Amino acid sequence: MIEFKDVHKWFDELHVLKGINLKVDPAEVLVVCGPSGSGKSTLIRCINRLEPIQKGELIVDDMKVHDSKTNMTKLRAEIGFVFQQFNLYPHMTALQNVTLAPMKVRKTAKKDAEDMGRYVLEKVGLGDKLHQFPAQLSGGQQQRVAIARGLCMRPKIMLFDEPTSALDPEMINEVLEVMRNLAREGMTMIVVTHEMGFAREVSHRVAIMDFGELIEIAPPDEFFAHPKSERTKQFLSKILTH
Amino acid sequence: MWGFYIEQLIHSLPFFLKGLWMTIAVSGLSLVLGTVIGFIWGIIRASRSRVAKSVIGAWVDIIRGTPFLVQIFIIFFIMPEFGIQLEAFPAAVIALTNLAACFICEIVSAGIQAVPWGQKEAATSTGLNWFQQLRYVIMPQSMRMILPPLVGQYVLLIKDSSVVSAIGVMDVTRVGWLTVQRIPQGLLVFGLVAILYFVICYPLIQLSSILEKRLSSGYTP
Repeated sequence: MIEFKDVHKWFDELHVLKGINLKVDPAEVLVVCGPSGSGKSTLIRCINRLEPIQKGELIVDDMKVHDSKTNMTKLRAEIGFVFQQFNLYPHMTALQNVTLAPMKVRKTAKKDAEDMGRYVLEKVGLGDKLHQFPAQLSGGQQQRVAIARGLCMRPKIMLFDEPTSALDPEMINEVLEVMRNLAREGMTMIVVTHEMGFAREVSHRVAIMDFGELIEIAPPDEFFAHPKSERTKQFLSKILTH
Repeated sequence: MWGFYIEQLIHSLPFFLKGLWMTIAVSGLSLVLGTVIGFIWGIIRASRSRVAKSVIGAWVDIIRGTPFLVQIFIIFFIMPEFGIQLEAFPAAVIALTNLAACFICEIVSAGIQAVPWGQKEAATSTGLNWFQQLRYVIMPQSMRMILPPLVGQYVLLIKDSSVVSAIGVMDVTRVGWLTVQRIPQGLLVFGLVAILYFVICYPLIQLSSILEKRLSSGYTP
């Protein structure tokens, strides 16, 4: 579904991705963790070309993301992206937020888009907030609208860039719950997060990045119980004991 | 004596109204054209295309850094040297349109840049193309920041239009100049000129502050 082949990325002089090789299967849930500045956000931002890559190949749903001729609109329609800061459109209601792209990109009729929007917002537990503006919603509710916005495009892949990092602790779980349900339904997901409980319980594999490299990638049981590299052990001891 | 002059002034009122009409025509036309061009320039200036951006930036700086009177002289008196002969009216409209476009360009690009980058990324990631992002996500948010200073700028430009009297456009300022030669009461004559400008500008000043108040509050129904 997603394949990185020796992918390199530079921000000017800064080498942020150093030869990433990674394959994600359909319906797989991959959690990516690592210290800040390790390149994990950049990694998933490359998948829908929010960041272009400079070297290597990146194939998503049989489309070549590294090729500048690829029709990115078509590819992006297949990939939902959830940001740390939600990035909801403040001038639109929850329902307008989730129906904009289906209507404009997929050219869905307004009525059908709204039916779909209602269904998806219902699914993330916000059936009673359809006509609220983002400013009237809590952080957790906003992030669930953001997830619904992605889902309304019926994507094949959902990417999450630290979706709970900007939330108050008591709101984290309502967002994780939505993500758990998605995983159960067989959505292909890459989740950048420090929620190790979520990684252990939901993911099929956990990866750790540092200094632009994938250090270790393994199923959660193995990853947490028997980490191979010294760096992983260090990182886990810091993140699990706090 | 005053009574006599006031009577004279009342007699020349049609002349003043004609001048007022000319002021409205020059500034109205220039503001409409300048707004269209200014928005296009502003959108380009806020975009990522480096060349177009710096060309417009340089032009805006030149226009903002030189007196309008000099610009209008260049267009009216110096262009003919290069074979571009213009009547006073089109020369005035071109000069004022350009001036308006430059100021509006700055207001628009500042308004666009004030929209958080994440908005554009969110729109991009759902597959909206450049135009759709601008139309549905960016501009509705920047308009809140653009409108109040835009209307304020209109007021300044309407007042700047008085400069076109220097090349012989028969606007309300020029009517004042001509009238004061017959009625040698500067206070009276230019008082009337001032009142006529104020009548156009004051509603716009009010509009600007209403917009400011209304648009500065958050997004709620």
